Amino acid sequence: MADYYNGNDRRGGYNKRKRFREDDDEQDRNDRGDHGDRRGDRGGRGGYRNQRQRPDVPPGTKIRRGLLEIAEDPLRLPQDVAANIAKLAADNYDDDFVKDTLVTVVLRLTIEQPLKIPFVAAVVLYANAEKSQTAQDVINRAVQQLHEFLQAGKWREVKLVLRLLACLSPLYEEDGIVPILDDLFGRAVDLQTASTDDAVGIELVKIILLTIPYLLASSTDPSLHQKAAELLEKTDIVASTPHVLESLVDPYLTMNENSEKPMACQSVISLLQRQLQGEASNGWPLKCIPRVYDPNREQQDADLEAHIESNGGGEAKTFTKIAFPTVTIPSPVNPGTRVLFPEVYFSLYADQEIESVPPTSNVASSLLRDAIIDTVNILDFNRNVTARFLNEIDCFWAPDTFVKRATAFDKLRDMPHDRPTWKPEDVTIDAVFSQIFQLPTPEHKLVYYHSLITESCKISPQAIAPSLGRAIRFLFRSVDCMDLELANRFMDWFGHHLSNFEFRWKWTEWIPEVALPELSPRKAFIRGVLDKEIQLSFAKRVRDTLPQEYHFMIPASKENEVPEFKFNDQLTPFSAEGIQVLAMLKKKAPEEEIQKILDVVHEKGAAQGISDPLVASTDIYMTAICSIGSKSLSHVLSTIDRCKDRLLAVGSKSELARRQIISSVVDFWADHPGTAVNIIDKLLNYTIVTPMSVIGWALQDHLENGRALASSQIYDLIAITMFKVTNRVRQVLRERNNLTLQFSQRQQIDEALPLERQGMRDLFTAIENAVSSVANGTANDMNEQLDSDSADNALIVPWGVRWARVWKRKAAVEEAVVGEAAVGPLEESSAVEEQMVAGDEVEDMDQVV
Amino acid sequence: MPQFTMRNTVDRLDKPSSYAMSKYKKRRRNDEYNDNNRPASPDLEEKLADATTLYVGNLSFYTTEEQIHALFSKAGEIKRLVMGLDRFHKTPCGFCFVEYYTHQDALDCLKYVGGTKLDERIIRCDLDEGFSEGRQYGRGKSGGQVRDEYREEFDPGRGGYGRKFREGDDGYGDEYGAQ
Repeated sequence: MADYYNGNDRRGGYNKRKRFREDDDEQDRNDRGDHGDRRGDRGGRGGYRNQRQRPDVPPGTKIRRGLLEIAEDPLRLPQDVAANIAKLAADNYDDDFVKDTLVTVVLRLTIEQPLKIPFVAAVVLYANAEKSQTAQDVINRAVQQLHEFLQAGKWREVKLVLRLLACLSPLYEEDGIVPILDDLFGRAVDLQTASTDDAVGIELVKIILLTIPYLLASSTDPSLHQKAAELLEKTDIVASTPHVLESLVDPYLTMNENSEKPMACQSVISLLQRQLQGEASNGWPLKCIPRVYDPNREQQDADLEAHIESNGGGEAKTFTKIAFPTVTIPSPVNPGTRVLFPEVYFSLYADQEIESVPPTSNVASSLLRDAIIDTVNILDFNRNVTARFLNEIDCFWAPDTFVKRATAFDKLRDMPHDRPTWKPEDVTIDAVFSQIFQLPTPEHKLVYYHSLITESCKISPQAIAPSLGRAIRFLFRSVDCMDLELANRFMDWFGHHLSNFEFRWKWTEWIPEVALPELSPRKAFIRGVLDKEIQLSFAKRVRDTLPQEYHFMIPASKENEVPEFKFNDQLTPFSAEGIQVLAMLKKKAPEEEIQKILDVVHEKGAAQGISDPLVASTDIYMTAICSIGSKSLSHVLSTIDRCKDRLLAVGSKSELARRQIISSVVDFWADHPGTAVNIIDKLLNYTIVTPMSVIGWALQDHLENGRALASSQIYDLIAITMFKVTNRVRQVLRERNNLTLQFSQRQQIDEALPLERQGMRDLFTAIENAVSSVANGTANDMNEQLDSDSADNALIVPWGVRWARVWKRKAAVEEAVVGEAAVGPLEESSAVEEQMVAGDEVEDMDQVV
Repeated sequence: MPQFTMRNTVDRLDKPSSYAMSKYKKRRRNDEYNDNNRPASPDLEEKLADATTLYVGNLSFYTTEEQIHALFSKAGEIKRLVMGLDRFHKTPCGFCFVEYYTHQDALDCLKYVGGTKLDERIIRCDLDEGFSEGRQYGRGKSGGQVRDEYREEFDPGRGGYGRKFREGDDGYGDEYGAQ
């Protein structure tokens, strides 16, 4: 025993985590003995993980560490940890540094690590019993921050601070935060009445609904049940009315009447509303919320204190109630910086035969999801820590919410009926995927969620990999009716993920799909994934990871890093001229000399009756550029840069020639479709090709009666092009609202905005027109006989439907961001000031392609 | 009154690495030692406050620009990519500079791409002041990166054993001069 108390020497040369955990284990057993739990405070060994506790660690530092690590160690009772920190803070509260630390860290944790809010709140509640000033200070700061977040329209922070305040409910003399919720609802109603496509009001209702459970879980006041019921009655109308854009953010499409969606994704607030009504009718069990603060602990504690600590004087502790400060919610509210859209609840595992995650009927599904995605989205600046939190998710919820970590899925079936069956891995993976599958866009770039999954796999591969496997299979089965943008995100994630794990996947199970027609969504998905894999690696490597049955999809030609120059083949028209142009470009001959050869092509072409001889010469010129630049992207870029004048001139002379530039690139890089897309991307930057020419090239010239829509290359090409365009319009809007510029300058930009916007709209219209002809089956050329097998047609039409939906949504999203209604008139006054801040931070659309 | 300030509750990955910091501090110390009249160079973090370029290390010699592009464009559009080359052979020697259009994209890359795998190697990313001519070449004695001179493990992606190691002990401890 003595060893444990003077354990420092034992730790001497070891600095390994494992060592500590063993120590903690023993210590923990010891802690649960009669009075061991007080020991942490007395110096010696506090049991803070990874920290050598020395008696000389100042209390402020101890409090900070204790708060930051709260609930992370499953071997320490959170009640004890919270009470210990509380006591330490109260005992040293005359130290300003301690006071500052407590208040700052509590609030910082609230808005950065929402999973810990109930635990942090418990510290404050315990501290209040020791010294009421502590709680008073925390509440004052929290309310002050709440005001700031309300002013700035930072709704997530508003929600989290409200949650902290809700968890502190036992402290309040009167109503506490209920009037705030009432006021928020009033604002929501204002917004909803003002506009039918309002999404901010919905967000406010979501905040109200997500606060109620924490309020009821932390309070013993029976009158709250009545108040919650009243609130729920009011929110019902808003929560159960579908938003106009809701159907466009559903991850799945109804392809025909008898097909069933993989999951009926309901709107987040309608789900919450019904879950809470269900909870209310059961007397608010709210089983998953941890009840960390135990008011009875005080008494035992005081007894203990009096018993063992003579200098404590055994003074009785009183739990002082605090008058809740008034909170005023601005009217009208600041809508905030992020343009909001309705949210639906996406899940890979919910409502299936085995309950590995909470069913959508259970409020736990919403509470867990909300806290996890907030954690994920807030802590994007350290994915390693975030992955660790996800791995330890069970620490932050009531005991027995989950099965033990890494429990095999098959074992869930055998669980006794009163035991939980929710797998922590499924719950967290589900939440991360809900972000990848969030429409229109998630908060961060998609690659963040990719790397978060990668880190999670690294932390505990044997626990995560099987969950991921079920996720992948579920998504693959759903690919036929998945929103096309999401199918492409899935493809992109899957290829990227595999590239981090030696390209290992059980490809054998998809062998039957390999035999499907090229136009089937699953086959197209497999092709797309293989292309993404090759882009991140190389053809031979990827082929070696695949069963024989897949090999025909990666022909030997893909191993050829430098494609053949087609004019080397004498059978190619203008072969001689092609070879000459290539040679001249290589030795950087002056353009006049090249012109002479191209003139020959023009003459010959005219003689042969070619309608636009410029097309033939452009093919030669651009193919030669590709060939010279075939060594690497830098090579092709510098060659393009050198030749840009001719390319620009040709394009402005003939639209056909401009589209030929695209054809030449795509044909040259036929075996490396990603490289072609990259080069066209750069050609767009040079304005050598225009967005409209890319759309015309892909969706008119090369639509192939709709077959092109199954190509991930064509999707990427259009997506990259439109991203550039929409991003540009958003940039113009930002500049227009940039108050650091002269007003006259902003006026000029304001005048340019409609033109830019119209250009964007025309492009969206062009895409929609082209793909809707496929969607309603009218894309077939008249001259192509209908004998083209109808099986193909049946496969082509859905591609048109899925394309149409993506671009309809994207157009609607841009209208919501840069449309006349969203932008409002140009203002000179300070009223714009807020808007400017908003404009500055408006999320750049994440690179989805 | 003692002020307690806290930026974040967990470390941020979008800061210059400890390697860059220590290298920078060393340089500053040397500057002070060598030339007291030179104005103190600005703080590294300040200097990198608008950085759009990343140094990317631990690449395989065989990793191509296209592969780098495929991965790094996930964090934003790439403005320029400069491959690190062996000073003598002008072949890739395992590092590169990636320049984005915006500082935010560079930070996102640091957070989301740094430390993940490219071409099946864990790559290292660091904020960089910006590429300048000459920096694309390895500074090692034999033309590649310095770390590849002395590496004792076999690394097939980076030319096998380190060059010094291959040559035996000759050269090891050269910095002490001859007897």
